[in-house]
Amino acid sequence: MKRYEKRLGLVLAFFSILLFMTASQGMTEDKKLTVLTWNIPYFEEGFNQWVSAFNEIHPDITIERLDKKGSEWSTFYQTQVVAGTAPDIIDVQGGLWLEYASKGGLLDITDYLKRDTDYTERIYPEILGSWVFEGKNYGVPLYISKTLLFYNKLMFKEAGLSGPPASFDELLSFAQKMAQGEKTGFMTLNFDWLYWPLFAANGIELLTPDLKKAAFNTPEAVALVEKLAEATASGAINKISWTGRWVEPNGAFASGTVGMLHAHAPAFLWFKSKADWVNEETVGATHLPGGWSTPNSHALLISKSVKYPDAAWDFVKIATSGAGAEALGKGTNNLTGDKIVNEQLFSYFEKELPAVVPVLKTQLEYLDKLCGNWPAAKDAEIKEAFYPELQNALLGQKSAQDALADAEKKVNRVLQKR
Amino acid sequence: MHRYPHWPFHVTLSTICALMLVPFIWVLKTSLTGENIFTYPPSVLPQDPHLFYYVDVWYTIPFFRYLVNSFLVSLIVVVANIVFNAMAGYALTREFIGKKAIIILFLSCMMIPFQVTIIPAYLITKELGLLNTHLGMALPVMSTIVCIFVFKASFDAVPRSLIDAARIDGLPDWKIIFKVMVPLSQSAIATNIILAFIWSWNNFLWPLVIIRDQHMQTLPLGLSRFLTVVEDTTGALYAFCIMVLIPGLVIFLLAQRQFIAGLTTGAAKG
Amino acid sequence: MSIIKRKRTRELLLIGFFLAPSLIIFILYRIIPLIWNGILSFEFWSPYKPAEFAGLYHYQEMLFYDDVFWEVLLNTVIFMLSSPLGILLALGIALLVNAPIRGRNLYRTIVFMSYPVMTVAVGIIWQWLYNEKVGLINYILMSLGFIDQGIPFLESFNLALPCVIVASIWQVVGFYMIVLLTGLQNIPPSLYESAAIDGANSWQRFKRITLPLIRPSIFICIVIGIINSFTNFDLVFVMTQGGPGHATDLLITYIYDEAFKLSKFDYAAALTVVNFVFFLGLALLANKLSGGEAGAVETGD
Repeated sequence: MKRYEKRLGLVLAFFSILLFMTASQGMTEDKKLTVLTWNIPYFEEGFNQWVSAFNEIHPDITIERLDKKGSEWSTFYQTQVVAGTAPDIIDVQGGLWLEYASKGGLLDITDYLKRDTDYTERIYPEILGSWVFEGKNYGVPLYISKTLLFYNKLMFKEAGLSGPPASFDELLSFAQKMAQGEKTGFMTLNFDWLYWPLFAANGIELLTPDLKKAAFNTPEAVALVEKLAEATASGAINKISWTGRWVEPNGAFASGTVGMLHAHAPAFLWFKSKADWVNEETVGATHLPGGWSTPNSHALLISKSVKYPDAAWDFVKIATSGAGAEALGKGTNNLTGDKIVNEQLFSYFEKELPAVVPVLKTQLEYLDKLCGNWPAAKDAEIKEAFYPELQNALLGQKSAQDALADAEKKVNRVLQKR
Repeated sequence: MHRYPHWPFHVTLSTICALMLVPFIWVLKTSLTGENIFTYPPSVLPQDPHLFYYVDVWYTIPFFRYLVNSFLVSLIVVVANIVFNAMAGYALTREFIGKKAIIILFLSCMMIPFQVTIIPAYLITKELGLLNTHLGMALPVMSTIVCIFVFKASFDAVPRSLIDAARIDGLPDWKIIFKVMVPLSQSAIATNIILAFIWSWNNFLWPLVIIRDQHMQTLPLGLSRFLTVVEDTTGALYAFCIMVLIPGLVIFLLAQRQFIAGLTTGAAKG
Repeated sequence: MSIIKRKRTRELLLIGFFLAPSLIIFILYRIIPLIWNGILSFEFWSPYKPAEFAGLYHYQEMLFYDDVFWEVLLNTVIFMLSSPLGILLALGIALLVNAPIRGRNLYRTIVFMSYPVMTVAVGIIWQWLYNEKVGLINYILMSLGFIDQGIPFLESFNLALPCVIVASIWQVVGFYMIVLLTGLQNIPPSLYESAAIDGANSWQRFKRITLPLIRPSIFICIVIGIINSFTNFDLVFVMTQGGPGHATDLLITYIYDEAFKLSKFDYAAALTVVNFVFFLGLALLANKLSGGEAGAVETGD
């Protein structure tokens, strides 16, 4: 008996030591603000700049930095919200912020914006309007991006095409010309409504202006979806457009087998890094015929549960304007929401990274033709109701007519129910 | 003893292994060359292989720190699993009131996938004060039902005669467990070690949710560093996956040799 | 009399003590979360607002208005019904690898190697293997002349789920093999020897000794197969995110999306409860069919 008691005792001792060793350090009572960024873990130097600038005004508050990848971002954030330890300042992509704003989870910053006009003047008003819900502002742009059309000049030459398409029909016919063997003519990203410009260019609205009912089940929409489905079946449009997320579509373009890619600006540097052949001579950047684009900008927003709202707002201002914004632009190769900073960034990019300049130029054009960014509280649910049906039609599972009718029913149900 | 030809075995097994290895070879190849896996046509042999990506992985993330964290957590998990599962497995070989209920309880716990428990598990771990700790990461998986049943099956298979003989010799329950049943359950222990280690080593979502400190993160969390929007990281991603894979394989090889080989002599006779 | 009673009490205490650690962990991390989900399924709740009573609203929504629910349920059942394939394959491999041939350790290791690979890598590689234009499978099929054009495996509503299932079997066959091997090695060879002496051939030995004695291991594999079908979150998440449409969406990925992508925790809780009840019923059925008591078998001498 003694031997086993000894052994048991050792095991228990081992565990208690482990427990003691690994137990969390006692919670300190320092003031703290937590910043949660979206998939930019390599952005360190610039972030430290923000923190130093912040600590000059608020030396008593420490900044905790967290960063999560997009696919886990909302899981992490919402768990923290439920536990009462929500990160205070959050970097959110696309329309996700609507979920939190519509449920009362974000801080209303309208008054701050009204008060700090020297800041507000620097930001593009059209872009600032992207984060307004029911008349209140909730966020400011961290970095801006919207969709554009990349085209593979080599494939265009091979197919005997002189330049990018000038109309939607030309887009489809060019795509068809370039499609043979393993090559396809056109591809688009599909998350966060990024494909919507194809619909907007054909005059199709998703919802009625009051955002209360579906408005997309029209003969024009049916005709468009049929055209797109045909093009997908024939290989003019790469099927990954409708099923891929980020790596596959960009990877495919990088391998040089896709004629045109409809994606937002950050895609450029990603696929460029995977392909030595990409440069100004081989890849062109232009607008989708018609100039429509879906924005996919990142914004900084503040959680409602923040303990030091004024300090949080100061941090947000530092990060999204002036030197802080410039650091972000250089550190992530993006444009910011600050007009003056962007001019400086352009001169910087012209020197350091000239390949990206034509791409970035498109980001500031046609700001009046943004689509796919309705401030609907149930944006995510509407997407879930609409997109799978659209996929059904585009991949040949259902006729365009049936798919759109079913989608209309589902979207309306989402909008009507509690 | 019958003599049967060995070559059919080798042929079948080799084919199966070749098929199983195909995806694996590609991961290895891309980790050595970093080429875009979407190039066409695909080629089996790596062009200009180099070990740069492995070095890259080591420096891009605090690999060693994460390795240590993963190792600590997995150590806790493996030890706890062996002890707790063996205990529970043994208890289930005995008859007692409510045994059926307990078995149903265990079975039903298997029907509760981890993803639906994230929020309550987080809140409970918070109450226990174990957020951001190795123990906190280990706790939900310190016992697994599958492995309990593996032990139970193993203990059940110990011949009654041996247990009875030990009883007649006057050995108390304790000694019967440690001196008779455990030594005959080497393969169950090996299975426990291998599985508990792999599940804990690859566990991604739970550490992601409860760890906020950078320096407490485990290896799989370092993965996100290689899937960012901007960096050129395909080769590094695969190198990372291979580097994370190796400890699991090592444990498997060690545990195999230690316990499984040449088992079937000894106590089973007479 | 009292000595026997005391002994019995001691034995019960021992059993209780032995079960305690595992039970505590399961209660904390499985049962309580289940109850949390159960309560939540009858409420309207979001992380920002206090809960309101909802009665059967979510269940009605699920059963009468949500076609996606039925679609993912069907997918999960299909996934589950395909698990015997993996188990059979693993049993075959386990039998082969159990034979006293040279290099069996190597074979065993190679088959097992797929299991500890991070699912992200598995997902990305299989996505590429199945790629319509540049994937290896299509490349081989086209080179061998079986087809003219690449087959869009993961973009096809009909083929996507079977393709994910194949990838899943690839990943998990090593695991089944280990569990079955453990069972095979619990069988004393003396049984085979005496049967051979009595004149039984290999098939008879297999049928009458091997099969019955590895019943507990097979039971474990079946239950794991059932469970894998509705917890196999990672692979689907990485390979197809449930697409195209919801063709590869399993109940668990649907629950996760509802909870964390759409912030509908209350609805996800109702789905969880239904998920639980449905599969508990199935597992209990499996238990009954394999002889009760988790398929335990006595090896009398």
